[in-house]
Amino acid sequence: MGRRLCAALAAAAVGTSVLTACGSDDDGGVPLINLYNSPQQNMAAIVERCNEQAAGRYRIALNTLPRGADDQREQLVRRLAAADPGLDVLGLDVTWTAELAEAKWIREWTGRNAEEARKGTLVMPLDTAMWQGRLYGAPYNTNVQLLWYRSDLMPEAPATWDGLMKASALLAEQGKPHYGEVTGAQYEGIVVWFNSLVASAGGRILTPDGMRVDLGPPALKALEVMRAFATSKAADPSLSNTKEDDARLAVEAGRAAYEVNWPFVYASMASNKPDMIRDFRWAPYPGIDGPGRSPLGGANFAVSAYSAHPEASFQAALCLRDPESQRIAAVKDGLPPTIESVYDAEGMAKAYPMKRAILDALKTAAPRPKTPTYQNVSTVTAVTLSPPAAIDPPRTLSTLRGLISDALQSKGVLP
Amino acid sequence: MKARWTIINIIVTLYALIPVVWIASLSFKDPSTFTDGSFFPTKWTWKNYAGIFANDDFTRGLFNSIGIGLISTVIAILIGTMAAYAVARLRFPGRAAVLGFSLLISMFPQISLVTPLFQIERSLGLFNTWLGLILPYITFALPLTIFTLSNFFKEIPWDLEKAAKMDGATPMQAFRLVIAPLATPGVVTTAILAFIVCWNDFLFAISLTSSSAARTAPATISYFTGSSQFEDPTGSIAAAAVVITVPIVIFVLLFQRRIVSGLTSGAVKG
Amino acid sequence: MGHHAKKVTDGRRAERRLGWWLCAPAAVIMLAVTGWPIIYSVLLSLQRNDLRFPDRRAWIGLENYGTVLTSGFWWSAVGVTLFITIVSVAVELVLGMGIAMVMYRTIMGRGLVRTVVLIPYGIVTVAAAYGWKYAWTPGTGWLANLLPDGTAPLTEHWPALWIIIVAEIWKTTPFMALLLMAGLALVSEDALKAASMDGAGPWQRFRMITLPLMKPAILGALLFRMLDAFRIFDNIYVLTNGANQTSSVSIIAYHNLISGLNLGIGSTMSVLIFLIVAVIALIFIKGFGTAAPGQEGAR
Repeated sequence: MGRRLCAALAAAAVGTSVLTACGSDDDGGVPLINLYNSPQQNMAAIVERCNEQAAGRYRIALNTLPRGADDQREQLVRRLAAADPGLDVLGLDVTWTAELAEAKWIREWTGRNAEEARKGTLVMPLDTAMWQGRLYGAPYNTNVQLLWYRSDLMPEAPATWDGLMKASALLAEQGKPHYGEVTGAQYEGIVVWFNSLVASAGGRILTPDGMRVDLGPPALKALEVMRAFATSKAADPSLSNTKEDDARLAVEAGRAAYEVNWPFVYASMASNKPDMIRDFRWAPYPGIDGPGRSPLGGANFAVSAYSAHPEASFQAALCLRDPESQRIAAVKDGLPPTIESVYDAEGMAKAYPMKRAILDALKTAAPRPKTPTYQNVSTVTAVTLSPPAAIDPPRTLSTLRGLISDALQSKGVLP
Repeated sequence: MKARWTIINIIVTLYALIPVVWIASLSFKDPSTFTDGSFFPTKWTWKNYAGIFANDDFTRGLFNSIGIGLISTVIAILIGTMAAYAVARLRFPGRAAVLGFSLLISMFPQISLVTPLFQIERSLGLFNTWLGLILPYITFALPLTIFTLSNFFKEIPWDLEKAAKMDGATPMQAFRLVIAPLATPGVVTTAILAFIVCWNDFLFAISLTSSSAARTAPATISYFTGSSQFEDPTGSIAAAAVVITVPIVIFVLLFQRRIVSGLTSGAVKG
Repeated sequence: MGHHAKKVTDGRRAERRLGWWLCAPAAVIMLAVTGWPIIYSVLLSLQRNDLRFPDRRAWIGLENYGTVLTSGFWWSAVGVTLFITIVSVAVELVLGMGIAMVMYRTIMGRGLVRTVVLIPYGIVTVAAAYGWKYAWTPGTGWLANLLPDGTAPLTEHWPALWIIIVAEIWKTTPFMALLLMAGLALVSEDALKAASMDGAGPWQRFRMITLPLMKPAILGALLFRMLDAFRIFDNIYVLTNGANQTSSVSIIAYHNLISGLNLGIGSTMSVLIFLIVAVIALIFIKGFGTAAPGQEGAR
């Protein structure tokens, strides 16, 4: 009895593995396009729509990547580095373009496909898909950060970080909630904050070609602002533990008066705390001397260099990010579109009351530095800036210059 | 006397169970009450459990975990027992090498083995298959199996076997009626330890699979999403954590006596 | 005489063959799965090899070892790992001994206590780690809310380290207790009874009889645990992912090898981790006389 059970289990194991090996082949001549995308609730609906449109020219299979951006990147890179033909269309974070393009793991978009990808697409998101003048992806969605504040506590939103710190001090004196939430934990979020501060001060972290460090006087100013904010009344004691969701929760729980965050907080507030939504307003990202340059996020669709069906993959990617697909993603999943016309589509006004602010922010948004070693640069920057209250601007700046220089060469040890 | 033991038992129980009860309580909390910081739920709900079983990814993950775990354990025990017997009772050149290599495997950091293993499996077509996880699991359960079982086999009084043979039993009978009952507790204990090793693995499950065809339950937790890309799906993670703990608890409940007797009866006094 | 000698040789040969055949399946699988990866890792550690820059690959001898061994981040990770290892193993030993005695001798609810104690060991590590993470997150967590308002223990170096240590101890003390209980079983009841009739109190009996008789088991358990504790990964990955210098050597190797795609440096760290673990094992085996697994003299 035990022996028979063993045999059955073994047969099942072999059988399952054989079945799985067969599953990834094309069925009956229709090219199977494997899409790898980060988890998105309505992606399946978008894929279905595109499969209908494809009408037999190809069939898209949706494969989900892990929740965390770092985990997604690891999985993709591991398989691309092994020249795995099982990947076709990839949903990439905007910061991975340079890395994957330089390593020749994704294909360049040329000719008609490139034309289609560029048509009607907003400038800044399109730029995130380019590396050294070539297009490597079709922008899918974008994202900007805004200042979200409670108008019952702050009737006017200051335009600068200094103004915010003063407003917090005033609120603290009055004994009202006075924290300003910002992503200060040791991860990509703090790099995003620093990058926007540097850009708002008129500077850059790297030179435009991504080869050398550029941190100059604007960076010094940015560090000073960070330190000042982290040691002011505006700083939540958990600042060095705050990620996007913690910031959202702090405002919803009533502990904070304002936050800089992505627009998902608005929909969340509307559903979790409908009594607070009336006084929940938005304003442009704060800057140093005036309005600042908002962080730029988002995702692009790229085609793997090892795809067995490149042309079909390009077509599939174009459908997955065409205006209707972007509309679905925008209205149902809270992912702002990259094609300008979609902002006026049906359902957008209700889902995005702040769409004007988003479009304005997109005009001046600050993209993160483009370099194939962005992962390294981000890691060493996050470690150096953390915790923000311990920043000593001149010393931190020189540490940053040294570490980022090494990171660009992939020299040295990552923390 | 009884009172003292009761108190001690309670303390030990609290030590073991408080964190477990906390995870369970998180899994029953309504998502809107996550931030109230209370130990027990203020608002009970089954929503989190419904959520993780809404699509069959997690169910498939459990199925994979159980299947892959059982198969790996059975095979590891089979070949581990043979090797442990040889190591414990026989003298042959290469005995030290087997032990040494087992030690090497258990000491070498697994992270550096992931990428080469991934490349090998991909070229053999084993990526994202059950076999692709079973082979590494067996490999990493073998050192534990061989060490533990060889210790057990050393404790067994093999003279009893000789005595049984002298009393007229065939080698097979001697083995079945004398040795096997003495060895069984040890084998069962080792099997449970090996199964826990396989069940627990996260690194290989996440790196050597790409879909629910072979992904095990712990790895599936990384694929849960909250209502936005920035939200940690606390409720789902807690519910999943409870669900993947339940089989182990049942296992332990059923075999607890065997585990303990396996460890203590193997030692023969005198 | 000669006939007898020939029989012995035959017997020896048969024994050898049996030994090889019995070990063959295990040896084959272990070699097949890990042989090449281990060799490959060592080879990689001698190269400059970054997945993103395939044209810059080169053999650079021991240069990677120089880079790693002169890096502040590496030594910080080594220090953190040693601290976590020593503290957690020490506490696990004491706590494990206590729990082993309870499991062994408890009068009532024996089955229940033994089951309950094994649960932390059986729980999936990442699941338990998430439990601890949420427990210490301000707002969500019941432990965090016991602390003064505004503290986020997971974001500071020392509090985070202690949280990691607590999580490790909670999880693996049952395993220690299991190993120690096997040693407890070797302590003869007669010796203890004789000592108590001579007037020795429970603490004296423990110190003079139980402990010395358990020495091999204790050393064995320590060795086993230290090898594993040094490679701590899951708990740190979930709790802090190495933020605020709480990286262990495994975490920093992961960051360089898998996130950073620097195969050269990452593999170097793996080899170094292995060497350190081997040294620890050697210290125990040669220095303290712990029986290596499989060696004679385990008792």
